[in-house]
Amino acid sequence: MTEPVDTQLRALLADILGLGEERAAALTADSGLFGELPEFDSMAVATVLTEMEDRLGILIDDDEIDGEIFETYGHLLAFAERKVRGS
Amino acid sequence: MDGHRLRIDPAGTPRATVLFVPPLFEEANRTRRTLVLAMRALAADGFAALLPDLPGQNESLTPLVEVDLARWIEALAAVAERIDGPLIVASLRGGCLVDHRAKAAAHWRLAPVAGASLLRTLLRARVSADREAGKSSSLENLQAEARNAPLLLAGNLLSPAMIAQLGGAEVQAVAPLRSLTLGSGDGALPGTPLWLRAEPGEDAAMAHAIAADIAAWGAACGIS
Repeated sequence: MTEPVDTQLRALLADILGLGEERAAALTADSGLFGELPEFDSMAVATVLTEMEDRLGILIDDDEIDGEIFETYGHLLAFAERKVRGS
Repeated sequence: MDGHRLRIDPAGTPRATVLFVPPLFEEANRTRRTLVLAMRALAADGFAALLPDLPGQNESLTPLVEVDLARWIEALAAVAERIDGPLIVASLRGGCLVDHRAKAAAHWRLAPVAGASLLRTLLRARVSADREAGKSSSLENLQAEARNAPLLLAGNLLSPAMIAQLGGAEVQAVAPLRSLTLGSGDGALPGTPLWLRAEPGEDAAMAHAIAADIAAWGAACGIS
């Protein structure tokens, strides 16, 4: 059985940002990511995108990526769910 | 291979040598500390553990732009050839793309990854950094640029040959092989993907699991 996108996305951010289970579980839709979490640099953004492709089985065209997607956890989750539904 | 390597020896004559092939580029730094812990655990268990620097990586004096995957494959085969006694080759992530010409009594791989996936992350880091700097670039135009000139990707100056080879690199068959993913159950190793971490961490439990699994696989392949 496939886990919900939300669960997979939290685990992915925990792996890449080293958040630990508690901090990952505490992320809300308004939690800031890029520019807010010091670990979230351009290399982390790149790693998140490639891991999302591998774990969620989606393909992300980089034209789809704008700064807003990484502003908050809610934006990133909405993007991931839209991609999973669409593919 | 420039001669740069880390070697940890056991107290007496080694039962066998474990040659670690580290992940590539930034992933190597993120994993190194845990790998060295695994090497110490193996040495305590009677193995010699060797962690070479691929040419152009870590402390190697060779400029990265002068090498490609073919050179790394050759370099590892040459290191393996010079080792006396039984050999286990243990590779992680992108290291699994360059380990197949090293002749060994046993091969062990953890979380192998396709070269295309590693290259995509490197290209994306560049696109993301360019965007922050107010420049616009894309995976397509970076890859077009890389056909004729070296490209700087996340601090790595990579030659056109390296980028082309990386884009097409897949793990090659070796035998006897134990290939593991991360997770639980058979064919999996407990731990977290330290190689993805934005800020390097370490995991002693995972290091011990790596050492124990390699030793058990060596025994299954007739290394006593």
